[in-house]
This record gives sequence, C-alpha cells and structure tokens, in this order.
Amino acid sequence: MAIIPGRTELTSPFWEAASDGRLVAQQCRSCGQCWHPPLPACPHCHGTDLGWRELSGAGTVYTYTVVRHATHVALADQVPYVVAIVELAEGPRLVTRITGCPPGEVRAGMPVRVCFLPVADGVKLAYFEPA
Amino acid sequence: MIRREAAIVGIGQTQYAKALPPTAWELAVEAVLAALADAGVDPADVDGMCRFVAPFETVSEAMLVRSLGIRELSFFAQAPHGGEALGAVVAHAAAAISAGLANIVVVYRALSQSKGGRFGRADRGGPSAPRAPGAPSGSPAPDPAADIVVPEEDNRSFAWPYGLLSPGQLFALWATRYAAVHGLTSEDLTRTLGTIAITQRQYANNNPAAMMRDRKLDWDTYRQARMISEPLRLFDLCLENDGACAFVLTGADLARTLRDDPVYVLSATQTLAPYREPMGIYVPDLLELFPPAAADRLFGQAGVTRKDIDVAEFYDATSYMPLRSMESYGFAPEGAGWRYVLDRGTGPDSPLPVNTHGGHLSEAYLHGMNGIVEAVRQLRGTACNQVPDAEVALVGAPAGSATILAR
Repeated sequence: MAIIPGRTELTSPFWEAASDGRLVAQQCRSCGQCWHPPLPACPHCHGTDLGWRELSGAGTVYTYTVVRHATHVALADQVPYVVAIVELAEGPRLVTRITGCPPGEVRAGMPVRVCFLPVADGVKLAYFEPA
Repeated sequence: MIRREAAIVGIGQTQYAKALPPTAWELAVEAVLAALADAGVDPADVDGMCRFVAPFETVSEAMLVRSLGIRELSFFAQAPHGGEALGAVVAHAAAAISAGLANIVVVYRALSQSKGGRFGRADRGGPSAPRAPGAPSGSPAPDPAADIVVPEEDNRSFAWPYGLLSPGQLFALWATRYAAVHGLTSEDLTRTLGTIAITQRQYANNNPAAMMRDRKLDWDTYRQARMISEPLRLFDLCLENDGACAFVLTGADLARTLRDDPVYVLSATQTLAPYREPMGIYVPDLLELFPPAAADRLFGQAGVTRKDIDVAEFYDATSYMPLRSMESYGFAPEGAGWRYVLDRGTGPDSPLPVNTHGGHLSEAYLHGMNGIVEAVRQLRGTACNQVPDAEVALVGAPAGSATILAR
C-alpha cells in the first residue's frame, strides 16, 4: 500500500515531472517569480500566463521531524522516517522526506539534493538526500 | 469595537472521557442546556448560534434548533480552520450582538473521537485521512493492499504522500525549527516542553473534570514516554476524547440583568494571511504562531496591555504551542519564551499562569473551547486552580485567533 498524490489540472505537471525525474515549480512568464504549491494566478503580478520552471534540485533542510509513530497503517513498516520542509535554492519550500542517511544525522540547515524514488507503479516522488 | 458590548453569561460542559456512550449530538445538547441553565435563559429564547467548522463537528446548528425547542435563529455563523476558529466564534457572536442581529447567542463545540475518528490516526477517519472522496469521517481502516490516492485539497496532496499526515507531526516541524533558530539543545527543548506538560498535568490533578485528574506525571515518566514525532513525546501531545462544551453570549445590558458576574468580551480576533490556514507549512516564517499585527489588534481593541493579563489559556494541541504563545503574544521576547518557561514556569506562582484547567494536554481536547470555559471560571472566581483576583484573561489560538475576556 502506498499513499500517492491525487492530481488536478493545476497540480498534475508537478507530479508528472517528478515521475519523469525532474523537479519543477510553477513560474510566472510575466514577472519571472516562481512558487510552490501551484496557484491559478501569479501572487506577485497577478499574471495568468504561467509555466513550469525546472529547478536545480539543490536546497537546505528548513526543518524536519523523525516520525517514530506511524499514524497510518500504510506507514507502519516505514517508521522511523524523516519528514522535512526543504528550502530550494530557487526559493520555494516543499514537503519531502530525507533519505540516504540515518535519521539521527539530519539537521536543520543541512544541504540536500533531490532524488526520485518510485512509490507505486508509474509514480515517483521527489525525496532529498545529503548533498 | 466590541469592547464590553457583549458578555458571557453561561457556561456548560459534559463529562470528558476517551469514549462516552452518547453521540456528539447528545453531548452538544447536554452542554448547551447546561450553559443556558447556568445563564438562566430559556432555550426557546436563543436567537443566535455560532460554531466551529472543525473536523468532526458533526452537530449542525439545525440539529440543535430542532432538538432544543428554539423558536428561530436570526443569526448563525460558522468559523473554519479547527482550533483557529477560537477567536472567530467569539468575534462573530459579539459582532452580531453589537449589530443587533441577535440577543442571545450560543457557541458550542462537540466532539466524539471514539465514534467519529481520531486526529492521531489518519487511517481511522482522522481529519487528514486519505480516504476516498465522499467517504465519511470514521470510515474503517483502508484495504491494506490498495494504494491510497490523496485528493487535492488545501495542498494536502503535497504533504500526505510523504507521511506528513497528522497535526502532531506538523507541530513537530514547528518545534524543530524553533530549536534550530534559537539555538536550543535537545535537552533545552525537552526541559522546556516537559515543564509545560508536567505543570499542566499538575493543574489537571486538581480539576475533577480533567481526564488526567488521577494520573500523575513526573519527569521520569515524561522523558521515558515514547517519541511520537521528534522532538515531541507522548505527553507533549493533546488528548483524544469525547465531550462537548458551550457558552452563552448576550449584550452587556441583558447580561447584567441575568447575573452579577458577567464576563465581558474585550476583544476577539480572527486573521487569515497567505498559507496560514489551518496549520502553516508554507508560511514565510514557520515560527510565526500569531502575527504581530493581530496581537496588536487583540490588545489594542481590548484596551489592555500584556501586564494586565492575569491568566492565559493557550491553545495546546502540543506543548510547543504554549511555549511559542509566550513570545507571539508578547509576554516574552522573541526566542526567550523557553527561558521564561524554565525560569518562571507556567504554574500558579508564575507571573502568567497558563492552562489552569490542564489544557488540551491534560483536561480534554475541544479545539480551545474548554479554554474559554476555564477563563470564564477564572474571572468568576470559581476555578479549581483559581488565580487570585483574576480580572483579565487571554484565550489564544495560533494564526491570529484569540479573545481577551474580563470581569
């Protein structure tokens, strides 16, 4: 059992890119600002000509928690796992998981880089590992 | 300005327990009737109602109008965002009275987590449960073989697939950030959060209504309790329970004819800033529990200062929130709340006693409504852990939602 993201017209490009091994964020073609999660209009200039910018995948851990108690049966065999908010080099923050190191080694401010892990058929999620 | 235009004239509550036989509807009826009896108001005369649109609030105002023999309501309103509706329900009710839309407004919160689903079990109908669209709260556990597709709503599809499913996990993210920004060691944070949890348990041990009345909590037990989501341990998290509570608000003139100790609303706020609903993930500063401008409104409209607050009931889904509330409401400088807690505590001898009923950690969890009820008791002078001569109380939730009450 996996917990996978439902998609809407607005959010689908983000997940499609992830399953394709790319990290993207929505970007305003008028003013160039980018943000996450996606919105129907640019919150900076109110432009509606929006696209998707490919991101470097570099970021730092803004904050994290080591989850030791599973709050869903689907996660019972995954604890402990590290949920983090990662601040991307380009500015936006996203919710993710930290992988590739023992949970006890994760620290706020730690440099990380994106990696893509399959969680279900045809579905990959953007995780992050120590840079 | 709603200052002293309306007053709380009645409070009521049911028993609080892990599981109670009555339904949420029955619990709501019991709490509202108790509040009306306390106020000396005939249920038929209620003409306003205000409630939470929190997860698991299954009791609509229509159900109560039907079951309480109310003639008709001329005002009813709902406030969203869970516990962050705490200030809003007071603001709406007081504003309606001030505007002449209603004379007697009932505010209530009823919760049956034993029947409706638990906040801490996302697979058991929790508010964040990735259940099929349209499936009711309290649905049975999902088929272990099938993938669960999280419908997109309020950016949940960007969090749940990563295992960020329950409120406690999110508040753990907030607490980690706090420790990182202000340079707390793991031990500093443990001592601070433990002080809050143990102090609130001591209050609860003296409160006959508290679920944890007979359960002592010492440092060994606190530290040895299992880690749920680091840095939060079991006793840093609120209770899950059944129960209901309610209060009755009227205009100040009517209030004075009903009783000689009305509790006046000095101010009440609700606030909505980008990404602040209902539990911030993408908010620019994750430590901003209560926006400074909202705090200024809260105190400015009340016409009181921090020094005037005799007792505070801070929303405590976890022990982190009273800590950060100390700073966000301006009782301690930014980053110094933990030292305030360690040096002065939150107990009866503190300059600011906090969560004198035991709070959500040790009395019961009712989305902050039991904090309002406790504040009324404090201002009437009838609380179990009475703060001597309490005249002004603050009841505060995160996200700019709070109220200041006074004798």
